[in-house]
Amino acid sequence: MATIKEAELPGLGKKFEVTLENGDIVSVIIHDEGTREVYHFSDGDEDPSSVVTLTDIESRQLGSIIGGAFYQPKMLEKLEAAVADLHIEWIEVKPDSEVAGKSIGDMRLRKDHGIIVVAAIEGKRDGKKARRGNTRINPGPSYIFTPGHTVVAAGTKEKMKLFEQMLDNNNDDEGEN
Amino acid sequence: MTQDLIFNLGLAFTFISLGIYLAGKFKFSSIPFLILLGMLVGPHAPELHGISFSLVNQTESIQLLSRLGVLLMLFYLGLEFSVGKLASAGTPLFKGGTVYVALNFLRGLAFGWLFFHSWPEALVVAGITGISSSAIITKLLLDLKRTASSETEFILGILVFEDVFLAVYLSVLSGFLTSGGNMNVVEILPSIIVIFGFIIAILTLGRRIGKLLEPRLSVKSAESFVVIIFTLLLLTAILVETIHIAEAIGALLLGLILAETVHSKRVIQFISPMRDLFGAVFFFSFGLEINYRLFGDAVVITLAAVVMTVVGNILTGLFASWLAGYNARRGFNVAFTVIARGEFAIIVASLAVAAGTNEILPAFAALYVLLLSFTSPVLAKNSRNFYNHYIKLVNIIKKPDAQSS
Repeated sequence: MATIKEAELPGLGKKFEVTLENGDIVSVIIHDEGTREVYHFSDGDEDPSSVVTLTDIESRQLGSIIGGAFYQPKMLEKLEAAVADLHIEWIEVKPDSEVAGKSIGDMRLRKDHGIIVVAAIEGKRDGKKARRGNTRINPGPSYIFTPGHTVVAAGTKEKMKLFEQMLDNNNDDEGEN
Repeated sequence: MTQDLIFNLGLAFTFISLGIYLAGKFKFSSIPFLILLGMLVGPHAPELHGISFSLVNQTESIQLLSRLGVLLMLFYLGLEFSVGKLASAGTPLFKGGTVYVALNFLRGLAFGWLFFHSWPEALVVAGITGISSSAIITKLLLDLKRTASSETEFILGILVFEDVFLAVYLSVLSGFLTSGGNMNVVEILPSIIVIFGFIIAILTLGRRIGKLLEPRLSVKSAESFVVIIFTLLLLTAILVETIHIAEAIGALLLGLILAETVHSKRVIQFISPMRDLFGAVFFFSFGLEINYRLFGDAVVITLAAVVMTVVGNILTGLFASWLAGYNARRGFNVAFTVIARGEFAIIVASLAVAAGTNEILPAFAALYVLLLSFTSPVLAKNSRNFYNHYIKLVNIIKKPDAQSS
């Protein structure tokens, strides 16, 4: 984990200094009027080796790309974003899972389990075209969990854990994860 | 001259826009450009072959807008400031900042006394030369891409420190000036103490007063909110005027109080476009009043003041950053950046004019700001070069020592 230092810049905004594992420092300055500046200091250097200035919208877009909202590295099976007590996860539906072939309505996910399915992404995450067009935002209760689809769901931490097990293989013994 | 009011205002704003456009083009602060344009097209404009360039009249409406400009600038200053911010800056800043501000002020005071032999003038000169321009320096840091450097925190901290000092200074100054520059300490002391106590009370009780105001300001409609804030500002200005405190200080104090409420962000949002608009009128209007033909008397003292400020500021800047624990390299960045003077020098000068001090002061302030606002960016840009020269110098001095030992 990187260490993050926070500093107030009166009249300008706020500075976040992230020291990376390799010793480099990435400084992000969020200006009060919305623009962001990103500085990169190579290990131990006092002068930045590069500077990028972004508008508010640009930095939000870039931020979500870095955060993995559009594409997650294949290495990571699931991606977790936690905002306060709300967890959002990207989980793949496994062929032998408990829910495969059943619909959201069948499972009574929202009523019984407190899980909200935000989106369903069809197709595995390998092809280039897998992303766009095949994403169903807010699928209705009739959506059927199909093996290979990736489901984006939100809920509390404990509920999400249970939901993860439902989508995973070995549907018989739930405790094994 | 019976000129249409709107016509005159339209002309004034045309020149203001031109000034701001030029400033953006040359990447300079707009303040010197506005003053310069005001001087060139105002009532004291130059005449060539019998054709006067005097296009814009100093009218009551421009004066009103410019007064609002001062109120809004100081109101904004108060809003931006918060006790929490100062506390979070920590002790290194506290040490460096106090020493820096105190040394600069005393230097200005001595300089003023040397040239004017009168305390009110000396006090005004100390204010003009002692307080750096937050607007110019912040812009410099942005342009030079130094916002992420660690010494920038210190530079901005110094600016905050100067804001606190400004509040106290202005209160003393206005007490001094409203008594007509009376040197009888016994007579003016009560009013200074009253204002001083008032400011300390606001700074310490601001949060409580803010809490009282908070629920009353929770209005959803943007229209009523902005109207209420503006009314509050004007009423405060009137209120403090009746107890002989400059209206500008009233605005500052109101800003300090509102900064402690949850509404501070919203107020800033509504106020800053107004501040930019009327603030520009203020600088332009200041230029209108300046007669460059009077510069003759002011040139010597201005040049002396510029040299004193640059040299003195570099020394105090280096000393302060050394106290705050920065190395020489970063210290040079600090010392060469904080030299710019601008809005506060002009505000102080305009307050002094209103109180009827030496008439050379506005010309002095204008020339001083013009010179410094054009030289300080150059100095700041080259702080690294100055540092390298300094290192060379140190090496030359040190070498004989190294050989002998």
